[in-house]
Amino acid sequence: MKRNPLILGIGILLILIVGLLLFVFQVRKSEVVVVTTFGKPTRTQSEPGPHLKWPWPIESVHRFDQRVQNFEDRLTEGLTRDSFNILASVFVGWKITDPKAFFPRFAGSTEPIAEAEKVMDRMLSNAKAAVIGKHPLFEFLSPSTQENKFVDIENEILNVMQSQVRANNYGLEVEFLGIKKLGLPQNVTASVFERMQAERKRLADQSQYEGEAEAQTIRAEAEHKAAVVLADAGAKATEIRGEGEAEAAKFLSVFQQNPELANFIFRLSALEDSLKDRSTLIFDQHTPPFDLFSGVSTNLLKK
Amino acid sequence: MSEQDLQLESPRGPAMGPERPVDAGSEALTEALRSSFWIVKVVMFLLLIVFLASGFFTVEPQEQAMIIRLGRPVGAGQKALLGPGLHWSFPYPIDEYIKVPISAIQRVSSTVGWYATTPEQELAGTEEPSLPITYPLNPLQDSYVLTADRNIVHTRATLTYHISDPVAYVFNFVNASNTVQNVLDNALVYAASTFNVDDIITRDVAGFKEAVRKRVVEMVTRENLGIEVEECLVQSRPPRQLRDAFDSVLKATLTRQKFLEDAHSYETQVSSRAGADARSMVNFAESDRSRLVNETKSQSERFNDLLPKFRQNPWLFAEQRLTETLGRVLTNAQDKIFLTEGAGGIGSAAGNPKELRLLLNREPPKQKSEETRP
Repeated sequence: MKRNPLILGIGILLILIVGLLLFVFQVRKSEVVVVTTFGKPTRTQSEPGPHLKWPWPIESVHRFDQRVQNFEDRLTEGLTRDSFNILASVFVGWKITDPKAFFPRFAGSTEPIAEAEKVMDRMLSNAKAAVIGKHPLFEFLSPSTQENKFVDIENEILNVMQSQVRANNYGLEVEFLGIKKLGLPQNVTASVFERMQAERKRLADQSQYEGEAEAQTIRAEAEHKAAVVLADAGAKATEIRGEGEAEAAKFLSVFQQNPELANFIFRLSALEDSLKDRSTLIFDQHTPPFDLFSGVSTNLLKK
Repeated sequence: MSEQDLQLESPRGPAMGPERPVDAGSEALTEALRSSFWIVKVVMFLLLIVFLASGFFTVEPQEQAMIIRLGRPVGAGQKALLGPGLHWSFPYPIDEYIKVPISAIQRVSSTVGWYATTPEQELAGTEEPSLPITYPLNPLQDSYVLTADRNIVHTRATLTYHISDPVAYVFNFVNASNTVQNVLDNALVYAASTFNVDDIITRDVAGFKEAVRKRVVEMVTRENLGIEVEECLVQSRPPRQLRDAFDSVLKATLTRQKFLEDAHSYETQVSSRAGADARSMVNFAESDRSRLVNETKSQSERFNDLLPKFRQNPWLFAEQRLTETLGRVLTNAQDKIFLTEGAGGIGSAAGNPKELRLLLNREPPKQKSEETRP
């Protein structure tokens, strides 16, 4: 037939596609693949891209997510070294690193991830209890960077987990771990509240007393400073007056020429000054110039 | 070819083939094959179109997409992300696209540290403002953090970030935003374990926030989450059981500040008054000095002027001055009373002193504007 080449081409293409589907499988970047030959895991493939395989039922492909999984465990109680009960829960980031080891242990269940997390939950409870028991409470809670071992405690739990996971060869790895919750048993919180209330009361009182005392100090200091300033000013004023007197004394030598006259002048001006304003004067006839009235004090009238 | 196809489009049955005369059976078979090939071709063509067209996909505004070609993501970093709009990729199994529900800014809130409440309650303000102190915290319902001084405090954080490495964000973590949230929770618990309660709530809110943020950034970088932290908001509150107790401390602090402010204003007042007094004391002294000096100087000058006149005739000089002065004084004096010996006037009962009674009715002295000198 004339149309054979076209049909042939289409046929070959179809066979090629079917063949590709049968013999090639893709691995995504986020996945890791276990290839089983007649049900037995024979090889793993974590490199993303297309890969070859024998068609089913010789080889079959099992895909696992190799990205980091989040898991957090329940809040469990632990006893610190100094006998405090604390509650802690942690979160972990873990991932499947060896699917060949992971597969036979967990792939049997419908939810291999959940199955693995159940196992980890058990290990975490033990690891937490063990590590918490090694540390006193102040290593969990402390403002000082030397005492606070929060990060070290997390790392210790992580190390315990990692070594257990490796020892059991679960084919997974705990990537990171952190404490997500830290609490106290319910009945303890009430006593913590009582302590906190007492502390608040103390702080309130302290704040008030300190305020009063500080205010008192400020006032006293202010008064003291004012007194010092005034005393200094008084001293300065006296000094200035003294200087004035010393300066004035230079002119006193002038009066030495005739002390009697000087005295007379001073007395005159003192008299004038003292009678400047609103004064009442009472004279008798002997006071000059009123002695003129009696006509005795001048010789001019007697002539 | 297509012309022939069109010609062939005739109802089935005994069509008249003009070319070769064959028997009716094989002719019918040829006819049937031709028409079915034609149908197959059309179907295949349509399938090809459908196949290629299936590579089109749209990305909604609140999401982005990435193309995975043969298992590997196409592009790296921000280039791997396809924004909203129409896109095309090779259909499966060559390409796959995955949609990531991420907007430019991601937001994650902490899930530990706060008491049980709902956003509705918070918005409506119907949450319990305070509780009796005997009401304990059930760790399964109400969350809280423990502070460095072993107190209980509520705190929560909201973190905003953007995805700087989408490939790592999508392909290294099953649920990266969940991981970020865990990290944020951990950072809150950790930061609280290094801060005292008063620092968290009032004294060093910024420091606490910075500690949370620092821890988040540290862990996110270490685990290579492919995100960049933009902002970290932290809100802290004392337990509702202790609301009144914490309020009383706040009140005491305010009272204390009031005390101090009063004291400081008193201080300012006292010191400025003292300063003013001191300045006026010095000023008075200065003016006293200059007055004394000037007076003495002018007196000495006057004395120098008067001395020659006095030497000419001391008695006359003295008399003259005295009289002049008395004249001036008498002019100024308000009341002048002149007494003679004896009531009847000159010459009567001389030498016999009389009793004199005066009633002076003074006006009150003028208000002095000048300050009294110290």
